[in-house]
Amino acid sequence: MTVSDIDPITLQVIGGALDTIAKEMGHVLYRMSYSSIIRESQDLGAGLFDADFNTLCESDSTPMHIGSLPGYLRGIKDTLHGDWRPGDIVIHNHPYHGASHSPDIAIVAPVFFDGELVAFSANTAHHVDIGAATPGLIIDVPDVYGEGMLFKGLKLYDEGKLNRALWQFIETNTRAPGQVMGDLEAQIASAELGVRRFNEMLETYGKDTVTTACNQLMDYSETMLRRQIAAIPDGEYTAEGFLDDDGRNRGVTLPLKVTVRVKGDGVEVDLTGSADQTPTAFNVPFEGSTKVACYYAFRALLLDTYTTPEYIPQNEGSFRPIKVTAPKGSIFNPIFPVAAEARFAPIQRVVDCIIKALAPVVPNNVTAGNSASLSFGAYSGLRENGDIWVFLEVNEGSYGGRPASDGPDSIDNLLANTRNNPIEDLGMHLPLICDRYELRDDVLPAPGKFRGGIGVVKTQRFIHGGVMTHEADRHEDRPWGIHAGHAGHGGRVFRYNVDSPDEREALPAKFSGLITVSGDCIEIHTPCGGGFGDPLDRDPESVRADVLDDFSTVEQAFDAYGVVLDDALNVDEAETEARRAELKRRVA
Amino acid sequence: MARIGVDVGGTFTDLILESGAKNDRAVFVHKVPSTTSDQSIGVVQGILELCEIGGIKPGDIDLIVHGTTIATNIVIEHAGAEVGMLTTRGYRDILHLARHKRPHNFSLQFELPWQKHPLVKRRNRIPITERVMPPDGRIEVPLAEDEVRSAAELLKTRNVDAVIVGFLFSFLNDAHEQRAKAIVQEILPDTYVNCSSEVVNVLREYERFSTAAMNGYIGPSTARYLRNLERTLSSRDITAPLRLMQSNGGIATVATGSDKPVTILMSGPAGGVIGGKWAGERAQETNLITVDIGGTSADISVIPEGRLRVKNPRDTEVNGYPVLVPMIDITTIGAGGGSIAYIDEGGAFRVGPRSAGADPGPACYARGGSLPTVTDAQVALGRLDPEHFLGGDLHIDAALATAAIKDHLCAKLDMSVLDAALGVIRVINSNMALAIRANSVARGIDPREFALMPFGGAGPLHAVALASAVAAREIIVPPAPGITAAMGLLAADMQYEFTRSTLAVLTDGDADDLARLNQNFDDLLAQARAALAADGVPDEQQRFQRLVECRYQGQGFELRAEVPDAVISVDNLQVIVDNFHAAHRADYGHSFESTPIEVITLRVVGYAPSDRLSWPDRTNSGGDVADALLYTRPTTFDNGQTLDTPRYERARLSAGQTIVGPAIIVQHNSTSLIPPGYDASVKASDNIHILEKRV
Repeated sequence: MTVSDIDPITLQVIGGALDTIAKEMGHVLYRMSYSSIIRESQDLGAGLFDADFNTLCESDSTPMHIGSLPGYLRGIKDTLHGDWRPGDIVIHNHPYHGASHSPDIAIVAPVFFDGELVAFSANTAHHVDIGAATPGLIIDVPDVYGEGMLFKGLKLYDEGKLNRALWQFIETNTRAPGQVMGDLEAQIASAELGVRRFNEMLETYGKDTVTTACNQLMDYSETMLRRQIAAIPDGEYTAEGFLDDDGRNRGVTLPLKVTVRVKGDGVEVDLTGSADQTPTAFNVPFEGSTKVACYYAFRALLLDTYTTPEYIPQNEGSFRPIKVTAPKGSIFNPIFPVAAEARFAPIQRVVDCIIKALAPVVPNNVTAGNSASLSFGAYSGLRENGDIWVFLEVNEGSYGGRPASDGPDSIDNLLANTRNNPIEDLGMHLPLICDRYELRDDVLPAPGKFRGGIGVVKTQRFIHGGVMTHEADRHEDRPWGIHAGHAGHGGRVFRYNVDSPDEREALPAKFSGLITVSGDCIEIHTPCGGGFGDPLDRDPESVRADVLDDFSTVEQAFDAYGVVLDDALNVDEAETEARRAELKRRVA
Repeated sequence: MARIGVDVGGTFTDLILESGAKNDRAVFVHKVPSTTSDQSIGVVQGILELCEIGGIKPGDIDLIVHGTTIATNIVIEHAGAEVGMLTTRGYRDILHLARHKRPHNFSLQFELPWQKHPLVKRRNRIPITERVMPPDGRIEVPLAEDEVRSAAELLKTRNVDAVIVGFLFSFLNDAHEQRAKAIVQEILPDTYVNCSSEVVNVLREYERFSTAAMNGYIGPSTARYLRNLERTLSSRDITAPLRLMQSNGGIATVATGSDKPVTILMSGPAGGVIGGKWAGERAQETNLITVDIGGTSADISVIPEGRLRVKNPRDTEVNGYPVLVPMIDITTIGAGGGSIAYIDEGGAFRVGPRSAGADPGPACYARGGSLPTVTDAQVALGRLDPEHFLGGDLHIDAALATAAIKDHLCAKLDMSVLDAALGVIRVINSNMALAIRANSVARGIDPREFALMPFGGAGPLHAVALASAVAAREIIVPPAPGITAAMGLLAADMQYEFTRSTLAVLTDGDADDLARLNQNFDDLLAQARAALAADGVPDEQQRFQRLVECRYQGQGFELRAEVPDAVISVDNLQVIVDNFHAAHRADYGHSFESTPIEVITLRVVGYAPSDRLSWPDRTNSGGDVADALLYTRPTTFDNGQTLDTPRYERARLSAGQTIVGPAIIVQHNSTSLIPPGYDASVKASDNIHILEKRV
């Protein structure tokens, strides 16, 4: 059968079925799993891949996972050399063989049809603890061996038979065996479901039709993205920024440089000029993370699902127009054996810089500077009965202002899209109590025609003391404003004890293995996005509403927005007009 | 006896009257245009007209059951009350933070409903000093009553319509919430005030606060509407009690609907599922997949073994706001008669979710719509005859349907009109079939053991294709597909549910834990009993079901397990444990027999069976099918064949007859398509069963 033999209607039917399979795989994985990082945060990805490792479909869960699995499959090939058999289940997480980072363990099952290997059903999920140097997360470790267990294409099931030794090895080498083993079970159930569903599809339509349809669907997604890229003027667009530090050498900032080269309907992201690799874990695996982040940026910018009416299938086609370059030995393409686990904060900034670089040419698609970090905390300790507890928590960020709307507040940013853990659920189950969770009120949101989003403040109190590692950045390089919008605010972290709340110690954004005692509180403030457009153009009624809602003050309304409110907090139109005219004159 | 069901839809208000003595029941149906600015006008007018049709006086009505979209519309139109909130200091923004997950992964311009249209504005969310601590509910910081007083005074100056009190851990200890509520009521005696633990007494602060906030948001208007409707009815001599269809498929009093309007948010679609279940019971079929196809959307629900499936409380939301109340598990997708077909920029063939709605509607309505819709495709294929569309009440123009398809589809795809129209049907059917599969196969249900029941005006046109795509055993077309939701109103039980979070590791069998479970179940039973008694249900008619919502210790999502009707003890604990393992296997395909099971929430469902609508049986007149033949016209079927196809009038068919496809059966509110290779049998139950002919 040739490509032209698939009519557009059958194509639509097969496309819908693929999408449903991926959704179902993701659903089973997060509903069945144990650790909150998977079940609540949905830090996972699942999908089907053809025999050449092209993504056919992928669940719409956390963007950081979407597009990473082909790298894992290529990495597994380094070990297995294609020795796949029906009933195999392979486990893999090696960051120098395609993995996104080591805690994101992949489970892969081959799909055989009429005795032939035709596809893979696979998923990745972030595991709460893989036996690293510090519980849950790591920052300051000597090399990749400090990350914990590394699996390089190992068969967990060999032709349907469980490798008990490997299973017991994993169970023995994690601090949270109850969660990790249950989560692996959920991953296996999800992968097996994908195998079943894809086989049913092959039986219904026949292998040739399915293969042709898959290829056409990838071409379709590619076409849709290329059309958008082609509309951008050819040229080289650059943005720069810097990271706070590498988690060991305090005060030494790390440069970021992102160059976007648009040529015709293709684009290259070149990260040359960014920092060299760090001696800590603050590096980004190239295949599984750097490339994925660049794919994400263009999909979000150019095929925004909120403004694009059509659903564009999530497959390999949307990766093809994008080429990613990062020099070997740089923070975005580290050389073995440096560690590369704490990669989320630096990679978020690549997306933010791509948005900034393209702001002049796709002004209606962009945002002002975003929080573009990640506050990722690993809390751990011993229960009264001596058991170890480990809890991973993602804290949300905020968006910069947008061309037609304010930046959303307190929401997971860019590549992150997890769900928080209910305070009440944690309070019932962990010796950790949340003392505060609300919008930051130590700073005001960045003024703009559309204001920047507000980050969150969250305080967790250790009941019995324990250990904490925190992965974050962007205390120093404030999210930028654009088109006369003001800059946002960097993040902050403090420690104090509940008995002496006034003795506050400022902590850096990232730290490893911090020992806490009973009553110690960790107070995290996440960055606030930049403003979009001139604050003097903001609707005075919106400014008034912001004042009423404590998103602004009478003083800020006057100083930054040129809006004059009377004693009853109503807009004084004449005074406002005069004030705005005066401020505009001053700028001129 | 005279009972009326009245279901308000987007375009029409459907009514049904059942009257007469027990063995001599008569049924009348009626349809009036919905009055969207005030639903009650159409409701009252329809009831009065129906009384005339049925030959009864308004004062003779014994009961009115109402399916209403009033609460849902307030949410969709963002037209709710100004709500004030008192909440624990340090957590002012729980409603603003939500679960910090955005609804779009690949978007920078997205909006968050809970921030763009907050149920409670930040200025009206007032932090109060107080602290209840887990895991036992002890009080760490006493309630600052002076702060509550000044907050209430402030909200008074702001003229709020409703106030909610939402404190952390109130599911463990509601003393602070109750005390604060009492103080607010002193200062604002006429304001609608609720505590979060009263609206839904469960763990998870955002979902509980959101449910309470939603209740406050829709409460005042819903209560006003219901009071006004009751008043208008009584001014027209209608003194019958008014009852409401709830989202869980049970009916409740106006008092319940006014106090807890969050329970009637899915009132409309629930009526349809109950109507489908009722028709299934008449056909003695307990395994049903109901598909309700309207103008803009299709509602799909699966009923295994005669039992409605309820949504997992983790998935119950309305327009992006979580609402923790029991709802029938209904999946709604953007696929209906008005769904628009188009070719996108990349050349893909798309149908829906954009819809031409009722206005301008499909191109063939000749009301200014020019884009091809699913209905236009059906018309172009010769499946909908102009003289029988809504019994000829609505004019349709086949030439406009063809022109729309030609201009917008054929011109871009080099296809004939027939092929393009067939494509529209195939794509929309595929979308619906995937949604059915996601609700059946994906959850361990085998459609081969189920009958597909189509309703809504367009349902029976798609039924055979859908049944074939999902491999359902047969199709059962109910007696009056277009008014099934109204019929469901006269086939529902009284039903009330009460919940309380009670955390315990079930598998430990700890004596104190079991005592707590029994005590809390007794409290919930007492509440359910009181609710039914207040509704006039005598003790002997009250029925109860006890459920625990559990998870394997460490999981985050609960599933329901039924509790045997006895005091819970170490002796019968295993029954609950086994029920949970079975539920887990059914949903996920796996269970973990040696893992501890944790109870999170107790639930008691109290219900009282009510009379079922008695629809007259179809008689066996022994006549010939030819008596019902109207005429024969060419019709194109899904396989591309165009055949001369006879039209039969359903009203003139008699029980025991079989119509051999190709054929079309027309009735006032619906059209059934019988493709070649299928037989349709008319049953005494007045259902029509469609089966593939055995070769």
